[in-house]
Amino acid sequence: MRIGVIGLILSPTFSFLEMMWRICPALAVGCTVVVLVPPGSPTPLLLAQLAGELGSFPGILNVINGPASLGPILASQPGVQKVTFCGAVEEGRVLRRTLAGQGAELGLALGAESLLVLTEAADVDSAVEGVVDAAWSDRSAGGLRLLIQESVWDETMRRLQERMARLRGGRGLDGAVDMGARGAAAHDLAQRYVREAQSQGAQVFQAGDVPSVSPFFPPTLVSDLPPASPCTQAEVPWPVVVASPFRTAKEALAVANGTPRGGSASVWSERLGQALELGYGLRVGTVWINAHGLRHPEVPTGGCKESGSSWHGGPDGLYEYLRPSGTPARLPSLSENLNYDTFGLAVPLTLPSGPEIGPSPAAPYGLFIGGRFQAPGARSSRCIQDSKGNLQAYVAEGGAKDIRGAVEAAHQAAPGWVSQPPGARASLLWALASALERRESAFTSALERHGVELKTAKVEVELSARRLRAWGARAQAQGHLLQVAELRGPVLRLREPLGVLAIVCPDEWPLLAFASLLAAALAHGNAVVLVPSGVCPIPALEVCQDMATLLPAGLVNVVTGDRDHLTRCLALHQDVQALWYFGSAQGSQFVEWASAGNLKPVWVNRGRPRAWDQEAQGAGPELGLRAARTKALWLPMGD
Amino acid sequence: MGGRIPTRGSRRGQRARGQRARGQRAGGGGQRARGAEGPGAEVAGPAPRGTGAGRARRSRGGGTQEGLGGGELGVEEPATAAVARAMSARNLGTELDLSWISKIQVNQPAVLRRAEQIQARRMVKKEWQAAWLLKAVTFIDLTTLSGDDTSSNVQRLCYKAKYPIREDLLKALNVHDKGLTTAAVCVYPARVCDAVKALKAAGSTIPVASVATGFPAGQTHLKTRLEEIRLAVEDGATEIDVVINRTLVLTGQWEGSDFIKTSTGKETVNATFPVAIVMLRAIRDFFWKTGNKIGFKPAGGIRSAKDSLAWLSLIKEELGDEWLTPELFRIGASTLLSDIERQIYHHVTGRYAAYHDLPMS
Repeated sequence: MRIGVIGLILSPTFSFLEMMWRICPALAVGCTVVVLVPPGSPTPLLLAQLAGELGSFPGILNVINGPASLGPILASQPGVQKVTFCGAVEEGRVLRRTLAGQGAELGLALGAESLLVLTEAADVDSAVEGVVDAAWSDRSAGGLRLLIQESVWDETMRRLQERMARLRGGRGLDGAVDMGARGAAAHDLAQRYVREAQSQGAQVFQAGDVPSVSPFFPPTLVSDLPPASPCTQAEVPWPVVVASPFRTAKEALAVANGTPRGGSASVWSERLGQALELGYGLRVGTVWINAHGLRHPEVPTGGCKESGSSWHGGPDGLYEYLRPSGTPARLPSLSENLNYDTFGLAVPLTLPSGPEIGPSPAAPYGLFIGGRFQAPGARSSRCIQDSKGNLQAYVAEGGAKDIRGAVEAAHQAAPGWVSQPPGARASLLWALASALERRESAFTSALERHGVELKTAKVEVELSARRLRAWGARAQAQGHLLQVAELRGPVLRLREPLGVLAIVCPDEWPLLAFASLLAAALAHGNAVVLVPSGVCPIPALEVCQDMATLLPAGLVNVVTGDRDHLTRCLALHQDVQALWYFGSAQGSQFVEWASAGNLKPVWVNRGRPRAWDQEAQGAGPELGLRAARTKALWLPMGD
Repeated sequence: MGGRIPTRGSRRGQRARGQRARGQRAGGGGQRARGAEGPGAEVAGPAPRGTGAGRARRSRGGGTQEGLGGGELGVEEPATAAVARAMSARNLGTELDLSWISKIQVNQPAVLRRAEQIQARRMVKKEWQAAWLLKAVTFIDLTTLSGDDTSSNVQRLCYKAKYPIREDLLKALNVHDKGLTTAAVCVYPARVCDAVKALKAAGSTIPVASVATGFPAGQTHLKTRLEEIRLAVEDGATEIDVVINRTLVLTGQWEGSDFIKTSTGKETVNATFPVAIVMLRAIRDFFWKTGNKIGFKPAGGIRSAKDSLAWLSLIKEELGDEWLTPELFRIGASTLLSDIERQIYHHVTGRYAAYHDLPMS
């Protein structure tokens, strides 16, 4: 069902088309929209006026002209359920931090840089036209990072320079120009970037018939930029193209994936196998093969990594504005005085409340990292008490070092898991489910000791096994074909794993929630780091015993300890691709705030418990959507 | 496709011709990368068999075909050695290197997209449009290739070639003293005499081009094809559009040339932008590799002034201003000229001309 009121914040260099791509799906599913546009753009106001004249539904589209500082104010209005921000990366980060804990969910679409990989088997002239489309025209979103295979380097540079000489710049509405101007701010940004690149030793080539006054900036080609220079990591502004060589396709992938941006890319190669290999390997939201900049409303467009995870177009674009039926609307849970610097920093001492009574428990559980139990770095344990206050067991006290080790182990196991065919993944999940059922009595008694009724405990164990099986069966989802009008050739909507997924499990339904979340994540090809329920981690640790024998080492890592501290470590970790947090409201706010570090997508519960036993909330499509990311692969055909 | 061959023999004192050396001297064959299949394709060629300076060379071709090779032919005369030398500077050619061709990649969807872009962008308006149209007139090879050509319509054509735009329109644009004419007049071999006579009577130096070698199918004997060329040259033709032998091309026996043409103009699909883009890129590649400039002629299907402007901007974008001269670029057309004249009329007077307002061609 639809979300409600959507706020849309646009960057100073937004294009009307981008705005429409976001407004139309929102209106189509029944949301109403408030758009904040920078001052000086009358066109959205005109659109709103037309919308207002529709008569029966005034107010479905509202436009405010104002500075960017109004953004957080818009987002914190009661009733705004989601805010989408399109703009620069830094502003997105700031917004993410300001909106932590607010009622509105935040969707980010950041950065405009794209990538072009030119292999030796490409039609170089057509690729040069692709570069012009991507970077030196009014249709281009931002700058371009160009990777050229060494063997065709000279040829390509020559053609690029010739082509640049024929470009014309001028006022945008003049029909005979290729590129207009995008304001003084964009001009200054480009100027600064080029100067800095030059000072770091790069070669800069500018050409084209462009007026030399600001705000017009000529097409620019930067080459020989040292890889270690700051300019290589910074976003390339329009209309600059930064060219770097590569030797083999593997190197191209490494270089291409080596920036924090993950927006869009194109691969130019007439060899199908090579083109697909590169297309699948690039970590971006959209890949075009032998084309650049093709767009269509039916095809989802979005990004990953620091390009934000907001989508428009296609089914993903619609899901942005929908939430599962039955889930309540989000309410703000802002706690004004949450100190982000100290949240979860120190581990509170957990001393037993009284003398130990009862039989001595078994040896303390270790941390399940890298496929086996190991002792925590801090060499300390915490005691777990059952519902009567008696000591049940000792579990390890995990710390920052352990989290680091767990994430590393997960990264090592991830490629192997991704390359497993869906059938293999399914069979492993089924084997885990069977192991769970075999040891049903052990799990039931562990749950009972925590005050869970026998009947409920039995149901919990049975459901856990069933969920594992169900998600195993759903492991087939590889993606499907989209038919795009006006394009000859297929467009694939691939569902790819996120990478390493960190999950902080809830206290309610300790075993069921653990199993449901784990199953969904694994079925989609992710490697996981889990923090089980702080109150009742024993069932999760028991499952680890089975996982040690069944699953590849490092695929699932379970770290016990102080929940806030471990959450802090995971949220601030730059190499965790997504974080699901089901804990307290304060923790949720911290997670949202900290995710601004590498802009990882987060899913928090704002301190509200979920009914994991119900299908809709425990095993619904929402988990599937969040456990993977989409990639659109365009394959125009013709010979 | 055809190649253009100037004949060394007949000079007729045309100043243009001396500079427009288009002969090929000994040993050189033009060479070009292979482009798209279909109506336009280019030719790449090994050296024609010819021997050194001073010898007549045989053209290997004579076929018809859309878009494949051109042949070349040079006829030498001792008296015109100086001219011959000037001509030979033009395309010395290179050795055939088929590996060069096999390395070429062409991505069709991308080329189609570029073709669409060319037509959609670069709108030229008002006086600039008029200027470009007048420039386009200077590239036209005014052509008549019908079965019922006689001396009267050829004469009318030649007159139109000398005075392509009505005098008063030119006066209004202040270009009446520039000597604006079309680039050439193109006729069947049998009509070359009439054309030459008519142009002489009009006092014009416009070259007469003749199609030859069994145009348009080219399925005639080598002996008659060569004889055709010889006779046309004797009658006074200074350029020859040769149709090459498709059989030889398909079996890989290439020839070189000075000009490449998209097709004979008599096929169902003639000059289209995607094909032209590939051909122009090949011309540019050849120039970068060998320093020789090869000309380009689209023919067939170019009827509107708007189209001709798109062609001009295509040449300008892909090859640059150097190629925008009649020595390196021609448009083979017949009705195009009247459409251009209408546009000029509209620009000058602001009204749309009736059929009878403008002289027939």
